[in-house]
Amino acid sequence: MTAETPDLAREVHDARWSEMTEDARPVAGVPALRVDDVTLRFGGIRVLDGVSFDVAPRTVFGLVGPNGAGKTSLFNCISGHYRPNSGSILLEGVETLRAPAWRMARLGLARTFQHPALQLGETVLENVLLGAHSRLPGGPLAWSLRLPSTSKAERASRAEALELLERTGLRWAAHARAGELSHGLHKAVELCRALMSHPRLLLLDEPAAGLSHGEVDRFVETVATVRADLGLTIVVVEHHMGLISAITDRVMVLDHGAKLMEGTAAQAQVDPRVVEAYLGREAVEDEPA
Amino acid sequence: MPAFLTAGRLRAAAVAVVAVVLVLLPLVSSPYVNYQVTTMAVFAVALLGLNVVMGYAGQVSLGQSAFVGIGAYVAGYGTLNGWPVLLSFVVACLLPAVVGMLVALAAARLRGLALAMVTIALPIVGTPVAKRLSDVTGGSQGLTVSWLEPPSWVALADDQWRYYVVVLIALGVFLLTRNLVRGRVGRSFAIVRDNEAVALSMGISPYRTKVLAFTLASTIGGASGFLYLAVVQYTSPETLSFGTSINLVVAMVIGGTGSLVGAVLGAVYYVLVPVLAGQLDASRTALLSGAVLLLVLFVLPGGLVSLPRRVHQLLTARRRRSATTPPGAPDGQAGTPALTSDGVAP
Repeated sequence: MTAETPDLAREVHDARWSEMTEDARPVAGVPALRVDDVTLRFGGIRVLDGVSFDVAPRTVFGLVGPNGAGKTSLFNCISGHYRPNSGSILLEGVETLRAPAWRMARLGLARTFQHPALQLGETVLENVLLGAHSRLPGGPLAWSLRLPSTSKAERASRAEALELLERTGLRWAAHARAGELSHGLHKAVELCRALMSHPRLLLLDEPAAGLSHGEVDRFVETVATVRADLGLTIVVVEHHMGLISAITDRVMVLDHGAKLMEGTAAQAQVDPRVVEAYLGREAVEDEPA
Repeated sequence: MPAFLTAGRLRAAAVAVVAVVLVLLPLVSSPYVNYQVTTMAVFAVALLGLNVVMGYAGQVSLGQSAFVGIGAYVAGYGTLNGWPVLLSFVVACLLPAVVGMLVALAAARLRGLALAMVTIALPIVGTPVAKRLSDVTGGSQGLTVSWLEPPSWVALADDQWRYYVVVLIALGVFLLTRNLVRGRVGRSFAIVRDNEAVALSMGISPYRTKVLAFTLASTIGGASGFLYLAVVQYTSPETLSFGTSINLVVAMVIGGTGSLVGAVLGAVYYVLVPVLAGQLDASRTALLSGAVLLLVLFVLPGGLVSLPRRVHQLLTARRRRSATTPPGAPDGQAGTPALTSDGVAP
C-alpha cells in the first residue's frame, strides 16, 4: 500500500531539501521574525509590556526569564494562539496579527508544546503525518474519491515522515502507538510533526522540560542537525540554561512582562539585572564583593 | 499462525466472504429477513453520518434524526411528484446538507452542552413543522409511497431488488467515508476532537472543520433517509423525532464510536434488539432493550467493535496468570518475600 521504497524516500528527500533551501533564502535585511512593541493584557494585568526584538534568519533565539515573566505568553502571541492588545509581529516582513491563528502554518511557522500534545491512541507515523496538513492538496471531495493527486501526495508525505523519523532515530517506533513511548520520545515525535509542515520559523516551548541529561544532549544534537540541514530559524523558550547556552545565538531575558536585556547566553548569565531578576535584590546585595 | 495467513490476505479473504454473503443472502432468505437486513443497511448509513461528527470529529450531535427525516420526506415528495429517482436521491442528500451547514455555521462556535442544546432544537422544531406543512409532508399521516419496484427486465421480487439498491448505495457511502476519514481530512477531524490548540498550529481551523463534519453528517443522514423510504415506503414526523435521535446515539455508542464497523454493528443492534426483545416478551421490549444496553456498556465500554480486542485481553491475562504462578503454590507465597529488613539501626 504505502510506497516506502528507499528510492521514493530519496527523491522526496532531495526535492524537499532543495525546496527548503530555496524557501529559506532570506530576503536581505528582513528579519525572520520581528516582534515590535507587543503588549498583552489579561483583564487588568499587563502580561507583556511593549516587548520588541528581532530574530535574524537561520539563528536560534532564546526566550528566558523567571517563572511568570511572560515567556510563554509571548510565545503564544507569536504562534497566534494569543492576540496581543497592541504591537505587531512580522514573519519575514509579513504582518501576522491580521491573519487567523490557523493561517500561521501556511506563513511558515510551526511550534511544539511544553507538554507534548500527541494523539496517544494513534501510531507515531499518523501523528507525524498530521504536520503535513497545510501542505497536502485537495478538499474533502478529492480525498473521499481518492483522486490520484491525493494518493500521490499522501504516499510522498508518508515517505517523508518515515525519513524524518529515521533522522531523529525513531524509525523503529513508526508503527507503535504514541502512548507506548516515553515522554522524551514524545518530544522527538512532536519535533518531527512540526518539521513536517516545512516551517521556516520553528518555535520550541520548553523542549528540555522533563527530559533526562542524556535526552537533553540528544535533543541538542537533533536541533543542531535539522537547523543546519533545513536552514531553520528557531525561537526557544527554556529554563534549562545548559540547553540555552548550547543552542542559542542570542537570548532575550524577560521579567514581569518587560524586556530586561538582549545578548548572548554568556552575557545574560553574568548580567547583574538578570541575576537580580532570578535571585532577588537581597541575594545580590548580600553577595560579598 | 501459518506464514501465508498475513493480515492483508486475511482481510482480503474476509472482504470476499462478506461480499459473497451480501450477494447471495437475499436470494436464499425470506422477504422478512431481507427487509430486516435492508433496514440494518439504512441505519448503518445513518449511524455512519452520526459517527463522522461525533465519533471522528468529537462534536455532540443530538439532531441526526432531523436529517434522516428530511431525506425521507424529500424522497417521498419527489416520488409523489414524479421526479426521477436520481434527482430524488441528489436532493435528499443536498437539502439536509444545506440545513446542516446553516445550523453548523452558528453552532460550531459552541461546545459541550450548548452545542448539544442547539442540535436538539432540530428534531424538536422539525416534528411540529413536519405536521404543519401537510401539503408537502402529509401532516401527521405522513407520506406513503409505492416505488422502487424492480424493472421488468430483472427477475427479482420487490424485497430483493430494494435490498440490492439499498446495500449498494450504503456500500458506496461507506467507501467514500472510509477514504475520507483515513487521509488528510480524517486527521484534521481527529485533532480537532483531541486538541484544538494543536489543530490551530497545524494550519487547521477548528471552526471550519466542525462545520465540515456537521455538513457531511447531515448529507449522509439525508442519504439514509432516502434509503429509509426505499425500504419502509412510508415516512412520518416520527422519523425525525428527538427519540429517534437518542436511539441513534445509543446505537452508535453500542456499536463503537469512531469506527466504520462499529456503525454496522450499531445498526444490527438498532434493528435486531427490539425484534428479539419483542419476541421474548412484547410488553417489555423497552425494558429488555435497556438491559442489553447496560450489559454491553458494562462489559464492552468501547462498544461491540471492541469485542475481539477485549477477548484477546482476557485470554492473554489468563495465560499470563497461569504462566507466572507455579503449579500448586498458592498466590503470593511462592519464592522469596518481596521486602525484608535486617539489622536496621533505629
